[in-house]
Amino acid sequence: MTLDRSLAPPFKIPEQIDFPLPIKRTLQNGVHLYFIPTPEIDAVKLEIDTDSNKVMDIQEKKLTAYFTLHLLLEGTQAKSSSELDEFFDTYASEVDVVSNFEHNGLGLLTTKKHLSTVLPVFRELMTKAIFPEKELAKRKSQKALSISIQKEQNGSLANNLFRKYLFGGDHPFGQITEEDDVNAIQRDDLEYFYKNKLWVNPEVFLTGNLDDSELELICKTLEDLPVKFLESEHSEFKNIQNQRIEERKEKSLQSSLRIGCHLISKTHPDYFGLWVFNVILGGYFGSRLIKNIREDKGHTYGIHSSIGGLKNADYWIVMADVIKEHSDEVIAEVYHEIEKLQHEPIPEEEVETVRNYLIGNLLSNFSSSFELISRFKSIHQVGLDFEFYKNQLEYIKNFRPEEIQAIGKKYLKRENMVEIIVG
Amino acid sequence: MINYQKIVLQNGLVVLVHEDPSSKIAVVNLLYKVGSRNEIPGKTGLAHFFEHLMFGSSKNVPVFDAALEKVGGSCNAFTNTDITNYYITLPAVNLETAFWLESDRMFQLNLSEKTIETQRKVVIEEYKQRYLNQPYGDVFHHLRDLAFDTHPYKWPTIGKEIEDIVNYKRLDIEEFYLSHYSPDNAVLVVAGGIKAEEVKYLAEKWFADIPSSHIPKKTVPQELPQTSKKAKTVMADVPTDALYKAFHMPAKLKDGYLESDLITDIIGFGRSSLLEQRLVKNGHIFASVGAYILGTVDPGLMVFSGKMEKGQSAEKAEKVLDDLILEFLQSTIEDRMLTKVKNQAEAMKTYESVQLLNRAMSLAYYAHLGNPDLYQTEYEKKTQIPSTQIMEWANAILKEENSSVLYYKSKGE
Repeated sequence: MTLDRSLAPPFKIPEQIDFPLPIKRTLQNGVHLYFIPTPEIDAVKLEIDTDSNKVMDIQEKKLTAYFTLHLLLEGTQAKSSSELDEFFDTYASEVDVVSNFEHNGLGLLTTKKHLSTVLPVFRELMTKAIFPEKELAKRKSQKALSISIQKEQNGSLANNLFRKYLFGGDHPFGQITEEDDVNAIQRDDLEYFYKNKLWVNPEVFLTGNLDDSELELICKTLEDLPVKFLESEHSEFKNIQNQRIEERKEKSLQSSLRIGCHLISKTHPDYFGLWVFNVILGGYFGSRLIKNIREDKGHTYGIHSSIGGLKNADYWIVMADVIKEHSDEVIAEVYHEIEKLQHEPIPEEEVETVRNYLIGNLLSNFSSSFELISRFKSIHQVGLDFEFYKNQLEYIKNFRPEEIQAIGKKYLKRENMVEIIVG
Repeated sequence: MINYQKIVLQNGLVVLVHEDPSSKIAVVNLLYKVGSRNEIPGKTGLAHFFEHLMFGSSKNVPVFDAALEKVGGSCNAFTNTDITNYYITLPAVNLETAFWLESDRMFQLNLSEKTIETQRKVVIEEYKQRYLNQPYGDVFHHLRDLAFDTHPYKWPTIGKEIEDIVNYKRLDIEEFYLSHYSPDNAVLVVAGGIKAEEVKYLAEKWFADIPSSHIPKKTVPQELPQTSKKAKTVMADVPTDALYKAFHMPAKLKDGYLESDLITDIIGFGRSSLLEQRLVKNGHIFASVGAYILGTVDPGLMVFSGKMEKGQSAEKAEKVLDDLILEFLQSTIEDRMLTKVKNQAEAMKTYESVQLLNRAMSLAYYAHLGNPDLYQTEYEKKTQIPSTQIMEWANAILKEENSSVLYYKSKGE
């Protein structure tokens, strides 16, 4: 019998997804540790995240946290910079710096085999760093250079301007770092920050194939870390009046576009609707922005919209690098697509595709046990738990298209948009 | 070790199955043994351009992505000098949809005018975005062009210049499809929460009637040994000078390949490496530095590269790099150094295998080289090489007459 290729095979949409709960421990110093075991994977990931960004208030010292964290591997009371490098490389372990809008911290990637050897030295970095001048000087000159390279990149310039206008140039989220900010950093700043400001509200996220004694060892290692628990301050942001900022460059072949605004928090009842609206508009490869700007017009290699996560309220951003001559047209098309999605009925076929795609995507996001901890972390840090994903799954299965449209109308308004064009 | 089962269909398609019962998803990875090494001058970038066309429509599938998204899947692909690799992630229960989609585009791709012309524009924008509108973005255009005289590694996968992309004719595109997109030129790996028996059944069902290609593969022009040092200076709008120094090295699986890999591990991998410690942390000329190999199926390059501190020249940087390489060549490799590199190789395997997709890709890649077991045996071979053998190869490769140097210089204010 010949195969009839015109018939698509039947398919099923998974009904259920498992969202395993992490194991929670409270250490003697009050720090909470969250652990998800991965019996089949011998890699171990340990991350300690703090709230210390919130205590950063001096504008001209905005790089204090950055340099403090990056200098931790440059020497401790017990080991020199080169000894630390040799040590972690020998045990094939990586120490990395966590640094984002709301959190600072330190991560360790190692293997079950080397964990107990590496752990004490990792712990030394947290309280025994000495911040040598020579290494600081080198780090400063490297940072200054990377700032000057980023200035040549339209994309990173556009990101910076977007942050500046969305969050305000005075707010830590909106500050743009310049070479002068590098020069302003002194060794004393780092030492002061390290001793007094770094370990604020820390939480530990752990995953790997660990038995009870290994988990115990990690708890023991971290339980004497001197920490502070402070009431978190959260920034409130308001959308500004629609504003377009253009930085044209004659030599550029393309323009980097950024368009966006503040949204609502993940705890808001409209959140899932807004999230689905974003997916249909520009959040996956089958999205309307990709279809229109890339697959139909060929004006760009890629255009995407996404929701950035913050504790109090998320924000929305469209990003694309487009043919310079078409930059105004692309911006107009973005608004056109928003309005179309808000006002014209969404075809059933498209609704079905989006539902199925999102369920598959959620299944896939939760299929690798090693990544579950970071899924948990992102939701836990905004005050939620895995119930969020259960509710999300239910929402995907049951949402009504009209409801998505109404929510889209409510929050995505042109008069609130920051528009950036660089290049 | 990655467990797998293998079958080969009558038409030559190699099918590997990697069962991972802990997973509820399936990964379908289809590798075609074609890359920019199969291109000719004037038509460079065609392999990568063709990858874009594969996401258009085929006889029974109007839009590839939409059909996949409808069953909860997503996909992507990449092209390099040697291979073009397509991969799909979807709920394991919908595995058959991936077979339907992949077999249809292997068998009967629609090369519509609209798809060709739109993707031509998209790829030109990709070219600008990644290689022209970025500081240092065209470094490998210059370095490859300098290091290779005849081999197609002379140009990067995106293509030598935009002009080439503008000029592909329909005939070039059709001929490329017929020559390279056939079951005997591909490796299919299915991994995840699936059963080997089911995969074998589906492979027969969807791929068995696709004919093999009868077009003989063109031979790839090989490079003659380099006999004298080559150098090029490029002036660019960048904040600081950069230096690239490349040496020809053996092909994958050939004698000296694993030694080359070890040489760059020792000199250039990690914060404790010789380059980082001597030239960056305790030197004032380099701001950053690295060493790595371009591991390719034909003889490739061992590359040393770095950016200079402001005001330091690439020429001066080459001198201190040369001194360090010379010192390395006259030294012996200490045991602790070998232990470190071997620990890293071992851990790297652990880290790599965390992702199902990585396991599928590794199997496909080594199957394309000849045998999926090479994934394990090459690793074992690498960890048993004595240091004297590494030094012999270092002395054979790191010679001035075997080098090509690119001084990528800042025009200044």
